[in-house]
Amino acid sequence: MELSDYLPIALMTLLGIGFAVASILVSKLLAPSNPTPEKLAPYECGIVPLQDPVERFPVKFYLVAMLFVIFDVEIIFLFVWAVSYKEFGWAGLGAVVVFMLMLIETLAYVWKRGALEWNVARRQRYRRIVAEGHLEEAA
Amino acid sequence: MQGGAWLPIAFEVVLLVGALAVLLVAVVAGRDRRFWGPAAGLAFAGAALAGVLQWREVSTSGAGLFFTAQGVSFAKSPMVVMDGLSAFGAIVLGLVGFVGFLAAWDLVAKVGRRGPELVSLLLLSLAGLHMMMATPNLVVIFLGLETASISFYVVAGFLRRQKGSAESSFKYFLLGSLASALFLYGVALTFAATGSLTLYGGNSIRDFFSSTIVTQPGILLAGMALMLVGIAFKVSAAPFHQWAPDVYQGAPTGAVGFMAATVKIAGFAALARIFGAGLVSQVDTWTPIVAVLAAVSMVVGTVLALVQSDVKRMLAYSGVAHAGYILTAMTAGVAGVPAMWFYVSTYAFMVVGGFAVLSTVSGSDSSKVPLDDLKGLVKRSPEMGWLMTFVVLGMSGMPFFAGFVAKVFSFVTATAVPAPWPANDHGYLWLVVLGVVMSVVGLAFYFRIIGTMFSTPDDQAELQEAGLPVRFAVIVSAVITVAFGIVPWPLIEAVRDAFPI
Repeated sequence: MELSDYLPIALMTLLGIGFAVASILVSKLLAPSNPTPEKLAPYECGIVPLQDPVERFPVKFYLVAMLFVIFDVEIIFLFVWAVSYKEFGWAGLGAVVVFMLMLIETLAYVWKRGALEWNVARRQRYRRIVAEGHLEEAA
Repeated sequence: MQGGAWLPIAFEVVLLVGALAVLLVAVVAGRDRRFWGPAAGLAFAGAALAGVLQWREVSTSGAGLFFTAQGVSFAKSPMVVMDGLSAFGAIVLGLVGFVGFLAAWDLVAKVGRRGPELVSLLLLSLAGLHMMMATPNLVVIFLGLETASISFYVVAGFLRRQKGSAESSFKYFLLGSLASALFLYGVALTFAATGSLTLYGGNSIRDFFSSTIVTQPGILLAGMALMLVGIAFKVSAAPFHQWAPDVYQGAPTGAVGFMAATVKIAGFAALARIFGAGLVSQVDTWTPIVAVLAAVSMVVGTVLALVQSDVKRMLAYSGVAHAGYILTAMTAGVAGVPAMWFYVSTYAFMVVGGFAVLSTVSGSDSSKVPLDDLKGLVKRSPEMGWLMTFVVLGMSGMPFFAGFVAKVFSFVTATAVPAPWPANDHGYLWLVVLGVVMSVVGLAFYFRIIGTMFSTPDDQAELQEAGLPVRFAVIVSAVITVAFGIVPWPLIEAVRDAFPI
């Protein structure tokens, strides 16, 4: 491998950087600049923003997202197997079944651990209030 | 497929089945650890048994390459190798894993309903670690490395509500991912330079070097250097050791021994596989680098261990120094593999035993273990005190302990083969001299630990009795430390066959 073999890569890199810089410069130079408070506000589908966009949201979304990714990847593997299951034969079927059993067992475990329960904290608070007999507080 | 065809991957299969069985039993039968604990123990023991079977198979019918992809264009590249290195590694990993699992039993009790997760992570990590040493394919080595690393990131942060544990996990994750990325980049560059991802077998890196003279080795050198950095990070060799003290200190004490010991075993085995066997033709290029790594590790590890006030950090820096002594053996190239095995297999038990004692003293879920916690340990708990003394003496390399034999073996090996740089017939004599000096300097902090244990305790409070599995783990570690110090010959005979093909 000669160093000159890398010339196309170097050119490509320069081209990429150049294009980005040029686009920003051109839009800065050509676009009229007339900032108003409304224009500077963050865009939220045309509605006047009411609160800080950075917001805490429940960790259970991540949990569901992670479970989703796992089964998404499973589907990717199954597609590969499904388009040529005849060539793979019984060994392929066995491998896919073992693979799926592993994932299903994992799902069973996290299910049992309560990963699919929604609103655990609120339900617990509700139960506690009911148990203490202050039902009107919960309403 | 015949029954024998499964033997090369029996170690991994047993551990994976064990990990799933633990989770399944926990779901079906209940979370009480008496239900699923035996399944995990059986899996570790079964893995060690698989190693023994592999060892017998290798010694009777020879080593072999398995799981060759057929009908694919890059065919003839095997995915699994069964030889002395992988079989011996399976036995050592299985036994150390079993003892480490017993040492973590108190921690398993403390994490309660999350116990099955912790144990199946340990099982999975062990499978990944063996994958690193039982494959000739560089990408599979990387996959094994990641399987183990990701499990250990989680184990380090298992007590996520503790500040130390979360910090430990995060640091390990960030630095470990960087090291994995560097290793993978090294694999890619090596592929670019040689056109192969397979160390041996058909169309391999070895074939490439036997038929080609590399005139411009720039990319190859970069690839080798990056792979070496990745492995040096995992075995915590200086200057890639900065994560080790923080991670060891923050991670739950009950599991640190398992993590520290098994990663070192697999890391050095992978080093022997990639550099000792696969890149054997480049031996003059990489042994000087390994020698410098060894020298820096010994000095940095020993000197920084002297100034620590936390026993976990002290053992972490001592681990850096030990990585240096093991790398000293590897400067002899593939001839250093027996000494590497002797050192790493005895040292692994010392690490597990040492951290198991710390977990009985300061609690298996503790982060910090200040040296004062060990004050008067011999009076408070004679059993733990004396066993810890044996383990620490073993680490320090006292005669009649396994650490001494391991060091001598390593130093003799390093001087047995002529060195390429500085070119001479006596090998890396300068490194051995440095190693001896650093061993003597290291005595200072090992005896600081022992001195603290023999001092008068502040309060005469009896130590809380440790669980039976943990005590068993400590006893096994101490017995191995002493036994292979007095009668090292069986192990020395065994490691002479533990070569990669």
